Amino acid sequence: MSPAALLLALLLTACNDGGEDTGTTEPLVLGPEPATSPQEPALRRLTQAQYTRAVLDLLGDDLFVPTSLEPDSAQDGLHALGAATTAISPRGVEQYESAAFELATQALIDPAEPLGCEPEGIVDDACAEQVLAPLARRAWRRPVTDAELQSLVDVSAQAATELADFHEGLVYGLAAVLQSPWFLYRVELGVDGRLTDLELATRLSFFLWDTLPDETLLAAAEAGELSTPDQVAVHVDRMLADDRARAGVRNFFTEMLELYELDGLNKDSTVFPHMSPDVGPSAREETLLTIEDLVFTQDADFRTLMTTRRTFLDRTLATIYNVRAPERDGFGLAELDSGGPRRGYLGQVSFLALQAHPVSSSATRRGVFVREVLLCQPMSPPPADVDTSIPEPDADSPTLRERIATHLEDPSCAGCHQLTDYIGLGLEQFDGLGLYRTTENGADIDPSGDLDGQAFADAWGLGAALRDHSAFAPCLVETLWRYGAGHMLLGGEREALNWLVDGFELSDFSFETLLRTYATSEAFRTVGMIE
Amino acid sequence: MRRFWPKGAPLSRRAVLRGLARGAVVTVALPPLEAMFDGHGLVYACDSVLPVRFGLFFWGNGNLPDRWTPTDEGELWTLTEQLQPFDGLQHLISVITGLEVKFPNESPHGTGLAGFLSGSPLSNLGDDSSFTAPSLDQIIAAEIGGETVYRSLETAAHSSTSGRSFNGENSQNPVEASPLALYERVFGETFREPGETTEVDPTLGLRRSVLDGVMGDVDALMAQVGAADKARLEQHFDGIRDLEMRLARLEEDPPDLESCSVPGTPADSYPDQEGRPQLSAVSRATCDLLAMALACDQTRVFSHWFTDPVNDLLFPDATAGHHDLTHNEAGDQPEVNAITVQVMEEFAYLVRALDAVDEGDGTLLENCAVLATSEVSLGQTHAIDEMPAIVAGSACGRLVQGLHIRQRRENATRLPLTLIRAMGINQASWGVDEAEETQGISELEA
Repeated sequence: MSPAALLLALLLTACNDGGEDTGTTEPLVLGPEPATSPQEPALRRLTQAQYTRAVLDLLGDDLFVPTSLEPDSAQDGLHALGAATTAISPRGVEQYESAAFELATQALIDPAEPLGCEPEGIVDDACAEQVLAPLARRAWRRPVTDAELQSLVDVSAQAATELADFHEGLVYGLAAVLQSPWFLYRVELGVDGRLTDLELATRLSFFLWDTLPDETLLAAAEAGELSTPDQVAVHVDRMLADDRARAGVRNFFTEMLELYELDGLNKDSTVFPHMSPDVGPSAREETLLTIEDLVFTQDADFRTLMTTRRTFLDRTLATIYNVRAPERDGFGLAELDSGGPRRGYLGQVSFLALQAHPVSSSATRRGVFVREVLLCQPMSPPPADVDTSIPEPDADSPTLRERIATHLEDPSCAGCHQLTDYIGLGLEQFDGLGLYRTTENGADIDPSGDLDGQAFADAWGLGAALRDHSAFAPCLVETLWRYGAGHMLLGGEREALNWLVDGFELSDFSFETLLRTYATSEAFRTVGMIE
Repeated sequence: MRRFWPKGAPLSRRAVLRGLARGAVVTVALPPLEAMFDGHGLVYACDSVLPVRFGLFFWGNGNLPDRWTPTDEGELWTLTEQLQPFDGLQHLISVITGLEVKFPNESPHGTGLAGFLSGSPLSNLGDDSSFTAPSLDQIIAAEIGGETVYRSLETAAHSSTSGRSFNGENSQNPVEASPLALYERVFGETFREPGETTEVDPTLGLRRSVLDGVMGDVDALMAQVGAADKARLEQHFDGIRDLEMRLARLEEDPPDLESCSVPGTPADSYPDQEGRPQLSAVSRATCDLLAMALACDQTRVFSHWFTDPVNDLLFPDATAGHHDLTHNEAGDQPEVNAITVQVMEEFAYLVRALDAVDEGDGTLLENCAVLATSEVSLGQTHAIDEMPAIVAGSACGRLVQGLHIRQRRENATRLPLTLIRAMGINQASWGVDEAEETQGISELEA
């Protein structure tokens, strides 16, 4: 869709909200995009997920990709930010080297598809070039210079001679391609503050697909056909319609909601008999399937994530939710009980279990996560020198609400804890793994509360209050911006961000439209100047 | 036959290796290493044959100072409740108490950590903060780690542990939490036993050719990027050069060290039991491998991160995660106490493992200094005025063992400075701002 068509699509009739009646209906239009001035560009190392997807795209999806790679490092929760600030360690260099040889060997020795040429002898530079040239171009997302290609061919020839085998030699050439900084980093430096077509192709494909550009996109960039907004829009639409967009959306939410932490879910199985090594991965899949359903199947108001009764369960989770498993094997769609408080993301194990202690729930951790991740309101850490202990339950204070009363009253604690703990107390009907309960130590749990002036009766009400919270949708847009741009937001980007938030609202919170608007915006291809 | 190979001889190991790393053809073999023993079978301790080594054993969430700190000072002191695991090992360790990290305690588990281990403040107060200077292990590795296959090894006892070994800001060394992966890395295909003189593997040189090309690409890219990226690419570049040197070393005959032998293969996995990680089993398997990696001179520096700061791991018999307990366990915290004792049992295991390896006419431990510490003292209040510290080994006689040294709120960086100097490194001062220190701990220095 072209930006002009997009504007039309975003036309909405202003609703009469019961206020002043002007007697006319004004169309709400997304105005022109404001200019933006981001920071100096930073190289982004491929994350583990991107490296894995990229080599599978490049060399064939039947390859085994080594998992021992430089670990991702989260900054502000996002690997996308950590990848733009951290350096590759000596150990990481070692791991990339051994992964490169392992992958190159798999791809070239007894390959599933025959190579494009038959070597004439142990050394055949022409054949080596024919194999390596397209791989290097795709891996590096740009045309390869003659000198670069010659050096890959030379390395291969040297190895082939030494090892007396053409294919063994080729392994060294491909290993060089995979260790090159042009593969390991996304080099998006721009010219005069604007990404080149080739750089834009890389940014688009990692943003929407979390992997390398495909041949169509790369060829368009090489031909200079990603220069105008209309040209870009054609590719963005094509990419959003492709199944790989699901992988891109899954990866964004895996990072935003810190779902990568679920592999190491740490729960005491004597306290939580439902705990098993399957719970974490199943919980992650539930959340990702819910999001895929909202974004791609229904193209619904994305804020529904906070209140939806639709979810996807396997047997592991169905047991925890105490409902019938929708499918004998794997995941199936389930509609949660309309009367219960378990609705939306806040009722999912991926949130409830992760934001809790190994043996108990935690009102503070859940509240901090809602503030920081869902509302983009950073909380300061507790002062270092205070006793933060929570008293043991007794007859006067059976539930967590009574036990943390001090945090909420003591003036030195209350400033922050009132912001977080009332949210968490609203979720206390879910224990540290996410099982529903109505009592704690024999006393009824009171899940009612208030979110920034909006009263709620229980977790469902809290979810509804969050959905309608003025910071909720802007926070999602801001996080997506940081993820796409690879840096924290600067003041000079605020206006353009607000413009994007307006567009999201005008689209009735269609996440797919948000992806499209951002990916086709001028802001998306604007980079700062290198000092 | 046996004679000391004179220092500065034209064929020093360093020179040969340097030549190799530059791709020069070196046809003269290195001198047999037993030539470095003297005529009486005595070993020149802390020379190029049996060098000094450094180790760090770290655990998270601190201790209980009241049950940790010995009453008496000097040589005659009694093991306290939390130090009981060193029964029989007291003469091999010195306990240093009363050290204080001098930075304002703004980050509950970060100020003490970065202040003690890097002498510098953190980059920020968030969860994703970085050290702003290299950590102690890397300060030392930069000086003494250059001649071995691995400049340093970083290990952990649990897969969720990330350690805090930093080369500098935003440049962290990942840890290996799988004993089998550590075994395969150090003692796998590329390892050759002492005395083994097989033909040089031709692929080593070819791999170096590939790395040469990659270094050229990194170098070229450096010219196009901003200052921050340049610093990151320099780290990357150094890492590649490090790997090249390592490959060059693998082309050499392995050091012929008496105490070196290939250890047994560790188990391939240590699944949780009742939802609890097997911290002890993993740590012990790792420590056995580390001891042999030192004995075989594969590395001279290691850091073993038993647990991370703020870890909430479930220890055996504990009713909650460790971090949770330090804050929420009532009374005098018997469970936190029990966990600290368990951690010390694991450090004691490492001390025994190093002590069990004979080296020359002493032990491997004598040629080491291993510091055990945490990021806070009393976890409940994140106190950093009683930093727990134990030093095992004498660093080839440069450190005094068997003492309890009481520091009265002295700058914590005194201890790292003492250890840096014990490694033979000439260091005038260490730490920045409030943490800057020029004086070592004189009682600890032999």
